[in-house]
Amino acid sequence: MTRRLDVFVDHSRCVGNAMCLATAPGVFAHNADRQSEVVDPAGDTEEKILEAAFNCPTGAIRVEVDETGKRLFPRAG
Amino acid sequence: MTRTDLDDLFAPEVIADPYSYFAQLREADPVHWNERFQLWVITGYEEVVWLLRHHELFSSAIMKHSTSPPYPPVDPEDLPLFDEVREFRGDQLVEQDRPEHLHQRGVVHEYFTPTAMESWRPFVRNAVRELLDELEPLGRMDVLTVFAAPLPVRIIAQMMDVPFEDRDYLRELADSILYMNRGEPWRLRPLTEGMRGIVEYAAPLVEERLECPGDDFISILARGEKTGVFTRHQVLVNTGLLLFAGHETTMNLICNGLLALIRHPDQWDRLRADPAGKARLATEECLRYDPPVKSTQRIAAEDVELGGRTIRKGDRIRWIMAAANRDPSAFPDPDRFDIGRQPNPHVSFGSGIHYCLGVALARMEGQEVFRALAERFPRLELATEEVEYQPSIQFRSLKSLPVTWTQGDQ
Ligand code: HEM
Ligand code: SF4
Repeated sequence: MTRRLDVFVDHSRCVGNAMCLATAPGVFAHNADRQSEVVDPAGDTEEKILEAAFNCPTGAIRVEVDETGKRLFPRAG
Repeated sequence: MTRTDLDDLFAPEVIADPYSYFAQLREADPVHWNERFQLWVITGYEEVVWLLRHHELFSSAIMKHSTSPPYPPVDPEDLPLFDEVREFRGDQLVEQDRPEHLHQRGVVHEYFTPTAMESWRPFVRNAVRELLDELEPLGRMDVLTVFAAPLPVRIIAQMMDVPFEDRDYLRELADSILYMNRGEPWRLRPLTEGMRGIVEYAAPLVEERLECPGDDFISILARGEKTGVFTRHQVLVNTGLLLFAGHETTMNLICNGLLALIRHPDQWDRLRADPAGKARLATEECLRYDPPVKSTQRIAAEDVELGGRTIRKGDRIRWIMAAANRDPSAFPDPDRFDIGRQPNPHVSFGSGIHYCLGVALARMEGQEVFRALAERFPRLELATEEVEYQPSIQFRSLKSLPVTWTQGDQ
């Protein structure tokens, strides 16, 4: 059983660096302004989604567990 | 004034105050053809961001695609040296287009992410403290030479995992690379000497790290050679890129930011009231208000419409952060220095696929420096009537920043 994730991109931070698209192409796509949008939060493995969030140079990606709302990235603290 | 004068990007007035010059240009002609240097000068915020996010239309491979000679002109007998510059620069990550750029950036990207860099904060904080402990009793310093220049080299040398004693030599090399975008006609000589120096210095290190890899970034680059992403030459010139990309830039962030804080005592007092809490946004405002990098280049990969003008395939382009960061359509009251400004979507680190790789490190260095200065010094005074800048179109670099302070006062 894989758990459902919620994935958010903060457009005030996203600079269209596109690393998330390269890491988890099933989840992220660029909009007309070349900022990242979440097209399918289940489009890739949890590992890949967290890697994309970790690799975002501006920390624009937030990942939570859908059922509990528990934040997986950025980690607290 | 004639049109030609207006297009002189190296005029002393423009070097001293790029903001008035580029603001005029932005208002009159945000996508401007500069006749004198035969290139487009892009000054509007919206146009700059659009350009940077359309990497397929605007190539970063300047050295590969442009056959024009260096500008401003160099001594004719030095022209053969420009081939060396092409070879060095042209093989660096920052000059690659996709798909190569994505593969190459993928090798080093993870090392520099915000989370990964956070583990370096104690080291950075300590390096700042050590330098300031030595300087504080003196009562005066040239911020540039004794603080802003040694700090980034100290940190990057640690990330390269090279001996402590090599720092002075690395700084010498880094200083010669500063001639990259300057105006002096003899600049290719010190520049190419520095380039040869870094290749010679890095070659044995790369051999060593291929044999026994560590977690330093030369080992990471060398791993890229093992996986077939980099050639050996690319490993060497990218070692140079990582060493130098954060040198003059961070130096300028510290000096230009501190100068702005000295010139705006009300903002200095705001920072002093809560250095730990205010350093983050204050650093962003320093980056916006007087950006370390004024402009960089692109070259049109095809004919493109931008701001109602047609840019032709092969045309050279300069995009100007110093103008975009002061565009009133993106920043209310843009000429005001406000250390609490938020949001602050400045383009001082670029945008799109080439967005600065070292951004998290640069931000951290700025935050730790402005915080420590505000914690230690109640008031810093400028010890000169006028400050002077290097004649560079790419960098906003002070020649020196002498300051004084009174010890022991509160
Ligand atoms: C305040 C300090 C800094 C500023 C203002 C700055 C600015 C920039 C800018 C504007 C670019 C984009 C260039 C372009 O698109 O043409 C860039 C790229 C780059 N920066 Fe920085 N930088 C800083 C510090 C650093 C540091 C500390 C490092 C590394 C240790 C670094 C490494 C790089 C690299 C490798 C690139 C090329 C990235 C790519 O092409 O994908 N920078 N930087
Ligand atoms: S990696 Fe971050 S900055 Fe880059 S497109 Fe994705 S969300 Fe935006």
